Amino acid sequence: MTTAALSIQNVSKTYPVPLAGFRRFFRLKTRAPVVALTSVSFDVREGEIFGLIGRNGAGKTTLAKIIATLVQPTEGSVVVRGSDSVRDEGRVREQVGLSTAEERSFYWRLTVEQNLVFFARLYGLGAAARSRITELLELLELEELRRRRFGELSTGNKQRMAVARALLNSPPVLLLDEPTRSLDPLAAASMRELIGTLARGTRPVTVLLTSHNLAEVEELCDRVAVISRGRIRAIDTPGHLRAAHRQHERIRLALGGLSVERTNALLSKVVEGLETSEHAGMTQACFTRELGDDALDLAMRALVEAGARIVSCETERGTLFDVLETFERETFEAAEARSGV
Amino acid sequence: MKSVVLLIGRVRAFVVRDFQLAVSYRLEFFMRMLSILFVTTTLFFISQIFAGTFSTPYEQWRDPFLAWITALPFLNYFMVGFSSLANAIRSEQAQGTLEGVLMTPIGIPTLIISSSAWDFVQASFHSFLYLFFGWAFFGVEYRGSFLLAVLFLLLTTLVLASIGILSASFAMVFKRGDPLGMLVGTGSALFSGVFFPTQLTSQYAGGAFRIVSNLIPTTYGIDGIRRVLIQGQTFAEARRPFITLLIYLAVLLPFSLWVFARSVRRAKREGSLIQY
Repeated sequence: MTTAALSIQNVSKTYPVPLAGFRRFFRLKTRAPVVALTSVSFDVREGEIFGLIGRNGAGKTTLAKIIATLVQPTEGSVVVRGSDSVRDEGRVREQVGLSTAEERSFYWRLTVEQNLVFFARLYGLGAAARSRITELLELLELEELRRRRFGELSTGNKQRMAVARALLNSPPVLLLDEPTRSLDPLAAASMRELIGTLARGTRPVTVLLTSHNLAEVEELCDRVAVISRGRIRAIDTPGHLRAAHRQHERIRLALGGLSVERTNALLSKVVEGLETSEHAGMTQACFTRELGDDALDLAMRALVEAGARIVSCETERGTLFDVLETFERETFEAAEARSGV
Repeated sequence: MKSVVLLIGRVRAFVVRDFQLAVSYRLEFFMRMLSILFVTTTLFFISQIFAGTFSTPYEQWRDPFLAWITALPFLNYFMVGFSSLANAIRSEQAQGTLEGVLMTPIGIPTLIISSSAWDFVQASFHSFLYLFFGWAFFGVEYRGSFLLAVLFLLLTTLVLASIGILSASFAMVFKRGDPLGMLVGTGSALFSGVFFPTQLTSQYAGGAFRIVSNLIPTTYGIDGIRRVLIQGQTFAEARRPFITLLIYLAVLLPFSLWVFARSVRRAKREGSLIQY
């Protein structure tokens, strides 16, 4: 049985209105409290890369900050490797590294090294601090920028610094809030590789990753939670989520030796949603089929029997984007129904 | 033992960080030294207006320059004790660095001590400069035990720091300068006898002013330091302000730590810990 590195049970968070009692007493205008999370529950297993996807304002960052003890939940509990985030926050902070895309959390007039030495000392690294920093600077390709002031770094390098700081005390749990947001494609790829290596190393690190890059989440994460308006809508592997929310796939064929008209005549009897065209001297045929049905087999047979040469066959399956879009649409429709629009 | 080493390491980290930030503004460092020399020189020349003609019933004020030079640097020191934590919290919130600091396993008391540590190092140096310039350039001679004066200094600073923790709690929740800061800052200069004897205010403006003077901890701190450095009093002779300061500390320190911990919890509930 695999143990939970991170256990989130019925976590709700409502940001109260400051001085609400005072405002009510004097009958001053007051806005409604902001509900950021509602009854969020899930476990993340040791060594698992767990993705959290959702739109801006869905509650991803609030949840990451609750786990990191920077924000207290209104209800529910977060337990990190046996320690409660409210009652034993010191122990939780020893075990959790948080990397956010917030550039301001560093000292801009200090160098890369000075910043990391400062935080390493707060983690109590002592004499080991320098060697750990050298190791991390090499790992994150920041070695050459060691003596450069933080304020002079590019946005991408500042982001790498945030990851380096999160890794300083080698925490067993890593919270990565959009770790590749400002990185160029090559740097983003090497960051993804690093995250994968950390989770699959000899001392596996548990990673909770939030990202708007859904391809990245699909590539990296063992499981994904879809969060919308503060509620968890689904938790599963990326593959299962895709399959559960997109039962169809689009087939695109490039054919030689068969006219557009003849292709149309042959395929319109066996497939649905057929579109045909001519491109670069070849006939293009696109149609939709349900996953696992016979439409592709029937279409191929009909085409081959009619003497067509099949040059290429591409499939276009659902992505996490479709999954997210579906949940967002459902949430929106439910909210509209509730408000009677 | 391990926790003490850890605490020292963390305080050191803050001091080194603040030193590195300070030397990144080199000119300011030298300008500050020069300004202390200017203030000392100005006070000396003001005192010369009364030279040879001045007679006063207040023993600590027979040489006004000596009275000022023994109070001004310490008032500066006390004010650092009072304001440094609130300033540090405000500045970390404004810069957005508090999040990074609070992500490390640093406890609230350690954060309090560490954030203000550099300010104390700096204030100690500045206070020393006032006394040094007075001695080196204007022939001031100090009497009594410096050790006892330092004891008064530390005790008053701790009392002021306790009020400073209350002030920081206010900053933590309301993100603004607080009323305590204004009151203690201006009140100390007026009522605690930095520039003139405290007896004068009650003599001219009535007994209520005397009560205010008696309520401000800096009054006892400055009185104690002057008793030692100007009048050359021993610990037994200067015990009254000392005991008063101890009572202040015993009440204010636990209360302010309790309020601060509650403020942090409240800021975490509101999600405003790292906002300014």
